[in-house]
Amino acid sequence: MKSLTLEHASFWYPATEAPALRDVSLEVAQGEIVALVGALGAGASTLLLVAADLAPRVTGGRLTGAVARRDRSGIVLPTPWTQASGMAFTVWDEVAFGPANLGWPAHEIARQVDRALEQLELVPLASRDPATLSGGELQRVIIAAILAMDPGLLLFDEPATELDAAGAQMVWRLMRRLAGEGKAILLATSALDAVPDVADRVVWLEDGAVRAVGAPDLLADVAVCEAGLGTSVATVWRASGLPGPYPPTVAHAVRRWR
Amino acid sequence: MTRLHPFTLLTIAGALPALAWVLPAPAGAAATAAVALVLTLTPGASPGLTGIGSSPGWRPGLVVLRAALLTAAPFWVFLLLLHDVPTTIAIGLRITTMVASFVWLVAALEPARLVEAMVAAGWSASVAYLFAATLTAVPMLKARAQRIAEAQRCRGLSPRGGIASRLRALRALALPLVLSALHEVDERALALETRGLRPGIRRTTLAPPHDPVVERAARWVLLLACPAALVWRLL
Repeated sequence: MKSLTLEHASFWYPATEAPALRDVSLEVAQGEIVALVGALGAGASTLLLVAADLAPRVTGGRLTGAVARRDRSGIVLPTPWTQASGMAFTVWDEVAFGPANLGWPAHEIARQVDRALEQLELVPLASRDPATLSGGELQRVIIAAILAMDPGLLLFDEPATELDAAGAQMVWRLMRRLAGEGKAILLATSALDAVPDVADRVVWLEDGAVRAVGAPDLLADVAVCEAGLGTSVATVWRASGLPGPYPPTVAHAVRRWR
Repeated sequence: MTRLHPFTLLTIAGALPALAWVLPAPAGAAATAAVALVLTLTPGASPGLTGIGSSPGWRPGLVVLRAALLTAAPFWVFLLLLHDVPTTIAIGLRITTMVASFVWLVAALEPARLVEAMVAAGWSASVAYLFAATLTAVPMLKARAQRIAEAQRCRGLSPRGGIASRLRALRALALPLVLSALHEVDERALALETRGLRPGIRRTTLAPPHDPVVERAARWVLLLACPAALVWRLL
């Protein structure tokens, strides 16, 4: 079942003539992870804002085309320090801020907060002041805060930029678990090496338009590699002059090598 | 003091300046200024105000008092330039009461408790957040200004020296401070929407502050004291 559907969506930010999104059509099904890749300014973050019903409702601007959301969405922005409420003494309070705004009963809020803290391995930090956390810890707190609101459609904008390697791996594993629970996930990321193991589909955006859609193998495509959006393995394979098709991951390369 | 109900703290911070302007100067204003300055010495000031940029020469308990005095000092200088000594003292004490009350309120009032108290009292969550965020703006801007000043210093811009170099340093501080604050407004609007803070929501209060009868009565006494003092002055 489709959680998000965009049909010929175009979006203009206020006071701009060029659209940030051009005629984008896209569907994300429940239980599916779709990764958005592209160069800076390709429109991935804007697409997430449109999907989250923040653009143009909050940002202003103009949207044409149709956007249908079946589930309530939750978006993790790339700057965790601005997404913190600033009204919490503890990590637990910070994670509870969103669910409390939804007007849920206190026992349901507590259940969702505890669950989200466990999912992000934040239980040991539950009583810490959010102001004392590192960037990576705060990023995990914000992800937990969004998960605690139990959205059906999850939108992640560069969720691993503040995280160390272990933290990023934990988030990628969590995404697969969430998709297994039926959540629809739309992910904008420049962590291209993680995409083949995380995403079910890849959407390549260029100048606000969809350039190509495909399986994660798309990140080993010649054109994608030429655009600088291939995985490290595919890029090295190509640079070595080895014949195509390029392998997207180490596992694929090993199989090809043998 | 920080354990008092947020409405009690607000009432005290509002009543003191009101009484300072209504009561006869200099005695009345001196009394209110003294009370406000003593309040800044009470324990429990928030780390948002005391923890950032606190001078090592000042003991932690005096940091809020120092902030109040430093904020009030320029007003005294300008008053002295414009008025005679008795007028300066009369207005200066009133302004000191206002400044000290506000600085104390920012230090003592925990925004999260204020939001909880306002929502429990039936206010809209977005209005409560807006009100509380206003109080957090001072320590946040102070922290941001310090970060910018440090960054400028790393690039060789010194805030010391003559008036010209100080003005250059001020411009280098003010411009990024204002622009970054404006930029963050947009980001925070998006962020708060994502956290469910929208107009018309019915937020669940998780830990509404205790509001004892004694405090409610004290608030009424303070609130009634202001018009009573005004009537007394007019008669």
